[in-house]
Parts: sequence; C-alpha cells; structure tokens
Amino acid sequence: MNCQTLDTELTPYLDGELVEEARVAVEAHLASCATCARRVEVERHNLSVVRLAAQQGPRAPQALRDSVFAAVRADASKARRMRAFKVSSMAAGVAFVVFLGNHQYRAHQFRLYEQDAALRHSRQFPLEMRQPGPEEIEAWFGGKLDHRVNVPRFPHATAAGARLLQVRDKQAAYIRYDSPRPMGLFVFGDDHDVDVGSEPMVGSSLGYNVVSWREGDVVYQLVTDLDEHDLRELVPGAHGTQAAPLDDVRPGTPLHSTPAVEARPASLQR
Amino acid sequence: MLGFKTKSAADRAAFEAQVSPWLDTLYASAVRLTRNDRNAEDLVQDTVMRAWRFFDKFEQGTNFRAWLFKILTNTFINSYRRTTREKSLQDESERQSVEAQFFSSDVTDRAQNPEDYLLDRVMSEDVLKAIDGLPIDFRMVVILADVQEFTYREIADILDVPVGTVMSRLFRGRKQLQKTLLARENTETSPLIDLNAFRERKKLG
Repeated sequence: MNCQTLDTELTPYLDGELVEEARVAVEAHLASCATCARRVEVERHNLSVVRLAAQQGPRAPQALRDSVFAAVRADASKARRMRAFKVSSMAAGVAFVVFLGNHQYRAHQFRLYEQDAALRHSRQFPLEMRQPGPEEIEAWFGGKLDHRVNVPRFPHATAAGARLLQVRDKQAAYIRYDSPRPMGLFVFGDDHDVDVGSEPMVGSSLGYNVVSWREGDVVYQLVTDLDEHDLRELVPGAHGTQAAPLDDVRPGTPLHSTPAVEARPASLQR
Repeated sequence: MLGFKTKSAADRAAFEAQVSPWLDTLYASAVRLTRNDRNAEDLVQDTVMRAWRFFDKFEQGTNFRAWLFKILTNTFINSYRRTTREKSLQDESERQSVEAQFFSSDVTDRAQNPEDYLLDRVMSEDVLKAIDGLPIDFRMVVILADVQEFTYREIADILDVPVGTVMSRLFRGRKQLQKTLLARENTETSPLIDLNAFRERKKLG
C-alpha cells in the first residue's frame, strides 16, 4: 500500500466496503503517511456533510400517499370483480333470477349491518386504546386492518378511545366517543356487500340511530342515541336531495339539511 | 391467463403495510431522479402500482426496500428518462475499461487542501441542487448510496451493473458533487444575502 494505491481503495474504505484484510492495509498506510491521513479525514468529513444534507429530502405529500393506495385498492377490487364476473357469466341464467331479488336482498343485508353495529355498540366492550386524538387513533389502527382508517373530524365530539370489533363478517375499527353523547363509530372495508353510498343514511335499530355512509371501499357506521336534529349538527355532510330508494323496505332515509361544507367530517371532504 | 390469479384482501393489506414505511424515501429519491415534484409523484404512483402487480413475485423475507428501488429505477429509466433526453454515460465512456477511467489522473492526482473542507453548515438545499446537477448515471448511484445508504452489492443488483461500475460512478459522482459545493462555498460569502438576491432575480426573471 502506498499513496497511489490508496486511490483505488479510498471510496470503498470510506463506505466500509473493504474486506478486513484490505481495510487493515489501508489503516496501516494511514498510520504512516500524514498526507494521506489528512486527505482521508477531509474526505470523510465531506462525505458525512453531504450525506447528512442529502438525507433532508422532502416527504411524500399526504395526497400522494392516499392516491397511491387508492389506486392499488381500485386495482384489487377490479381484479375481484373480474373474477366474480367470470364465475357469474358461467351461470348467467341463474344470475338473472338472482338480480330480481337483489334489491330486496341488499336492503335486508344493509339492515343486518345496522343492527349488528347497534348491538355491538350497546355491549360497551372495553377499549384497547384510550386517546382522544384522531391522529393517535389512526396511528393505532395502522396495519391492523386491511384498509387505512381515516377518523372523521367531528367538530364537537371527543373520542374516548378505540378498539377492533366485528360488524357481522367485517373486521372493523371501532371508535367510541363520550361527548357530547356516547356514540360509537365503526369503520370497515367493504367492496359491495353494504348497500350505501357516499351520502349518509340514517336508520334505527335497537333504539339507536345508525348513520351509514361510504367512502370508496370503506363504510362508516355511526351508532348514537342522538336524535336526527342533533345528528345533523354532528354529521352535517348528511344532506339528501332525493328520497331513499329503498324506503318501502327499511325505514332508513337520508338526512335533510344544508350544512356548511367545512363542518363535514374530514373523511367526506374531497 | 394474466391477472387471473388475483390477490386477496390480506395480500393487499400486507402490501400496504410493507410499502407504507418507504413512501417518503421513494418520493425523496423520485424528486432527485426527476427533478420535478409533479413527475416525482407520477413516478412513485407508477412504481407502487407496478410493485403491487408483481407483489406475488416478491420473495418474502428478502430485501423489500431494494426490490422497491429496483422497480423505481427501472420505471424511471424506461419511461421518464426517455422524455428528459438525458444522455447516458453507459454508451460512451463505459465501454472502455471501467478501471482505466475510474482512476484517471484528472480527478485523483491532486492532494486534498484544507480549503476542500466543506463547511458543516452547508445548506441541504445546495447539496440537493448539486445532486440534481449530476449526470443521470452518477445521480442514481449517489442517491442510492448517500441518500438511501444501500450497499454496493445492493446498488449493483438494483441497477444491474457490476460492483466495480457502482464504485467508479460513486467515486466520480461524489467528486463532482464536492467540486460544485466547494465552488459555491467559495463564491458565496454570505449565503443568506445571496439567497435573497437569487429570489429577487427569480422575481424579475
């Protein structure tokens, strides 16, 4: 090892990429050559300055984060629909008959989701985490469910905490609020089983009002004993311009109100 | 048939959980590669979508971050580079012996002076700008080695080039980077004032 051969080793030496033997040889040379030792010191310093500065790069914007996974979800459910389509086209005759009963069936299924959410809320299961912040709650659910949990920002409600719960066959995030009144919010992933759109619908079950709405592949169900007037204050996104399409089958109706947009839950703001 | 073997909801959850921690670093690298926020977002979007489509090909337990970055750089090279009209070094110089140009005298023979010492307070913005000024092949290894801290072996796998090539590009890339930064330091006695002057010029321009 001499000053010239150090050149070939300097970059891997600084990166810790030399094998033991070569590293020892470099260090032996540095111990005996002040010029090279000085040079290595400068190089090492400069490299660490550059690395430190270079790593202060920008973070992914939240909108990108959301849209990246939304695209994956859309792709995933498209694939599932394709599969379902292939199966059903093999039995097109059967499918047609099923279609006729479909509306009634879906409305009935929806009722069962409402009922189950109300039932589980009424049982007051112990919470697994107790923090009021929507961010903490979202972070706590991170990775526990196969969808991202966006906690709606209700301007006047304070969360007590959260836990995992089922709503029928769905693994759901459950967030309990203690004020202004006890309420429970279920958030679960669903492709097409629950017949609800982005416009909140109010039904009632077991003495509770259940507000349901959907955001993409995620369904929200808010179980509460607030009456419709107070609900309107709380979930002001709940405005409807047309009657519920399934009025004859279940008592659910869209809420009528014209709220200020900024008061809508964050999950409904797009 | 392609796409018939669909992934389950559990697959998607696993995928999101694995990708999520790396989104920031993917994006930061994409910004350096494309030098443009808008294109960087598109690049990350494409990368994640491709990763999702090939997720069943990923061997669980192996290096997921390196796998993501391989997709990122491939996606970039295939689609974005075409539009940015950047010249590759591969064609010209690298056909000659890598070693020969790696250690050519022009970059290595001078001794390091104390003036070559970069100031500790060198601004991150300046370093990032200097990286953006590197030719694409150098830029890629500098991003992978100094921003993402991949090993030579990992970078060689990501870029599909020999380790010796990684080393030579890194060596030359860093040299050029330092040169740019030192030149800037020497001309800027007061970076704050210069920054304001720069903004003024920008406004006028």
